[in-house]
Amino acid sequence: MKRRTLAILLAATMVIGLAGCSSSSSSSSDSTTAAADSSETSDSSGDTATADSTTEKVFRYSVSTEPTTLDPTKGNSIGDNEIQHAITEGLVRNTNGEINPGIAETWEISDDGLTYTFHLREDAYWSDGVQITAADFVYSWQRLMDPDTASPYAFIGEYIKNGLAVETGEMDPSELAVTAEDDYTLVVELENPTSYFLSLIGSSGQFAPLRQDIVEEYGTEFAATADKNVYSGPYKLVSSENNEYIFEPNEYYWDADSINLDRVELSVVENTDTALALYESGELDYVQIPNAYVANYEGEDNTFMNGNVDYLLINFESTNEALNNLNFRMALNYALNRTEYNTLANSGVYDGYTGLVFSGLTAKDSTYGEVYDLDSYSFPVDGDQEKALEYLEAAMEELGVSDASELSVDITCSDSESTKKQCEVIQDLLQTALGITVTIMQVTYSELYATTLPNGEYELGFTGWGADYDDPYSYLELFYGPSSYNNSFYHNDEYDALLESSVTETDTDARMDILNQCEQMIMADAAFIPLQRRTVHYLVDDDVTGLNFYFCSINIDWVYVDIVS
Amino acid sequence: MLKYIAKRVVAAILTLWALVTIVFFLVRLLPGEPFTSAKLTAEVAANMNAYYGFDKPLWQQYLTYMGNLLQGNFGYSMKYTNKTVNYIIGQTFPYSANLGIRALVFAVSFGLVLGIIAARKRGTKIDFFCVIVAIVGTSVPDFIMGAVLQYFFGIKWGLLPIAKYEGFEYTILPSVALGFYTLASVSRIMRSSMLEVTSQDYIKTARSKGLSEMRITCKHQIRNAIMPVMTMMGPTVASVLTGTFVIESIFVIPGMGKYYVDSITNSDYSMVLGMTVFYGFFLVLCNLIVDILYGVADPRVRIGKR
Repeated sequence: MKRRTLAILLAATMVIGLAGCSSSSSSSSDSTTAAADSSETSDSSGDTATADSTTEKVFRYSVSTEPTTLDPTKGNSIGDNEIQHAITEGLVRNTNGEINPGIAETWEISDDGLTYTFHLREDAYWSDGVQITAADFVYSWQRLMDPDTASPYAFIGEYIKNGLAVETGEMDPSELAVTAEDDYTLVVELENPTSYFLSLIGSSGQFAPLRQDIVEEYGTEFAATADKNVYSGPYKLVSSENNEYIFEPNEYYWDADSINLDRVELSVVENTDTALALYESGELDYVQIPNAYVANYEGEDNTFMNGNVDYLLINFESTNEALNNLNFRMALNYALNRTEYNTLANSGVYDGYTGLVFSGLTAKDSTYGEVYDLDSYSFPVDGDQEKALEYLEAAMEELGVSDASELSVDITCSDSESTKKQCEVIQDLLQTALGITVTIMQVTYSELYATTLPNGEYELGFTGWGADYDDPYSYLELFYGPSSYNNSFYHNDEYDALLESSVTETDTDARMDILNQCEQMIMADAAFIPLQRRTVHYLVDDDVTGLNFYFCSINIDWVYVDIVS
Repeated sequence: MLKYIAKRVVAAILTLWALVTIVFFLVRLLPGEPFTSAKLTAEVAANMNAYYGFDKPLWQQYLTYMGNLLQGNFGYSMKYTNKTVNYIIGQTFPYSANLGIRALVFAVSFGLVLGIIAARKRGTKIDFFCVIVAIVGTSVPDFIMGAVLQYFFGIKWGLLPIAKYEGFEYTILPSVALGFYTLASVSRIMRSSMLEVTSQDYIKTARSKGLSEMRITCKHQIRNAIMPVMTMMGPTVASVLTGTFVIESIFVIPGMGKYYVDSITNSDYSMVLGMTVFYGFFLVLCNLIVDILYGVADPRVRIGKR
């Protein structure tokens, strides 16, 4: 009797154990977007800020990844940048794609698109009451490109004339083409006409102004804590202790009237299950729902797309001959039913996607996905088994293979649970559809981006991309021959020439068409295997208004949030 | 006694030096590099490597590191770019230690009591109950323990806060979850050690002298039986006080555990080293204290060393 009780108890313990395992693994955040990596945003804000007994308006949310730095110049993740978006004010402010004046009241762009002249407002002040001048921008941008600063995101300043030369130490930072003509006039020269330049500087904290005296006073300790900095943005950071970031309105902000909140509390909650529980108990006003739980909140949840698109890259220099065969690459792409994939791998939370460029980007006063019909030039989302087999047969003939099982490919991915699951589903779908052999290799996240992908030590590599700026070029650059992001070692002279022609094209609509032609070219060549667009599901309290979401550099933008009862 | 302590201290310093040296070189063999991101360009990587001195020969980096270490300086984290490892430890260790002490007090006091009662009431229902507690404590991983406690006490019954660290009531659930394993081990060790001691000659002697059961248990049995528990306390105190990744993550405690684990996946060399050295120092210190206490509690240790 005693023994039986014990046995039951043990069995029960094991069951609990197993359940615990699966739930914890599914909640591990999917971290694959190249760009975003450390920056997955699981911010949460949510409910009940109304609970304030007084009329204090507080917005409380969480992120799952700790911001890496509070120094705007050194920010290198979406999480870092979201904080900077609130505590710094650039020349312009990009709110959900709309460009509004920031420290610059007005600006002129030269006809060749190369020279920007910004006229700064005279009523802009730092949080300590000192006036913000053009010199603060010159100092900040020079610091960004200075090799001694070693900013992890310095490449974002290569658009500025002489940017790259300063970055590599060939020129002195003072030669960067940013000049303060007087306190309120800033002239910036660019390397190329960059139509998205304003959008870029409006959403990237690296272009925020900096106070030379403050930076030099604290040295390497600058911005290490909330008090070792001054703030130019709508909010100032009051505390960053113990993984809680507290923001309060900056009374010196030039547009303080547009700011509604009295306080914002950002907590770093790594465990997404806990974050959800905190939201449920009313301690957060916004929360991102872990993928595994999305189904439980049908009808209550909201969604936004974070601009991340995931792919299997194809290594064109791998020893696997089959990957250099167009018909084989076509077969892989047609064999994959991306809807089924998404249901099995992501609980149906993301969208199966067949494009390279994120569909939500701005194009011709609309979105890229609206202007260009992806289905007309890409693979069917649900795949096409018949066509896939036709391509496979053609490939086998060209490769001199008689049995499909002789064809094999490796998929290399990072060791996160979610990525592993996604790759296993792909493996299964491809093997079933084509009868080829697919093997999965896992490496650590750091290894994947430090060696595996850049050195081409893979055949198919699971990765993704999120743009830093609202332009297809960011995605198309991945296949540009000389680009350091070209981890698939794809070389196509025609493609490179076409993409280069977009850089100097000053007619924005014509330029957009060129970029779309580039994407079509990549699709026709089946140069990679597109998989999914990421959709983020979140819960937010009814009384929260003015929350914005964006798909470059920033996901959640709470600057204009208000709590209405 | 002094000589005994001096020998222990020298051994501790040598252990630490070996630890630092081995970890310094091993960490470089980890796959991956500290600066990894899909967006990192070659130019940026070169600047960052120069900034952190990775462009210098390895032996030179080692000497620099040791020089800084002697001044108690662990250097800057490579992931949290403008925070020093010292700052991060300074911020997070108090939370981990605070929670750890509560967990230990809970675990040791209950563990000892359970162990003693179980041994005294051997074979009864109470003993059986203690066995169950021990099995559950050692076999249920802490993340499940944490989640279960959180679910019942936090969400279902609403008795205690779910997570975060904002006052005494916030520490109860994580302390219990963190201490449960130790509680179980302490109770098991105490029980078997008590039973072992019961058959010793000096207990028989005490009994034949006509001492009361209470006095025998308290004065003779417990004092002798507690030695194995003390041995185990050195490493346990070090590991519990320096935080655990899982419990801190589930209960949103701003402690050290996460940085220790993440530093390895991030290949954050200075953080891995700093955390390892700190943890190593702490472990060596705890063991040293246990060794000394051993000498105090058990005269044979002192005499044996003379």
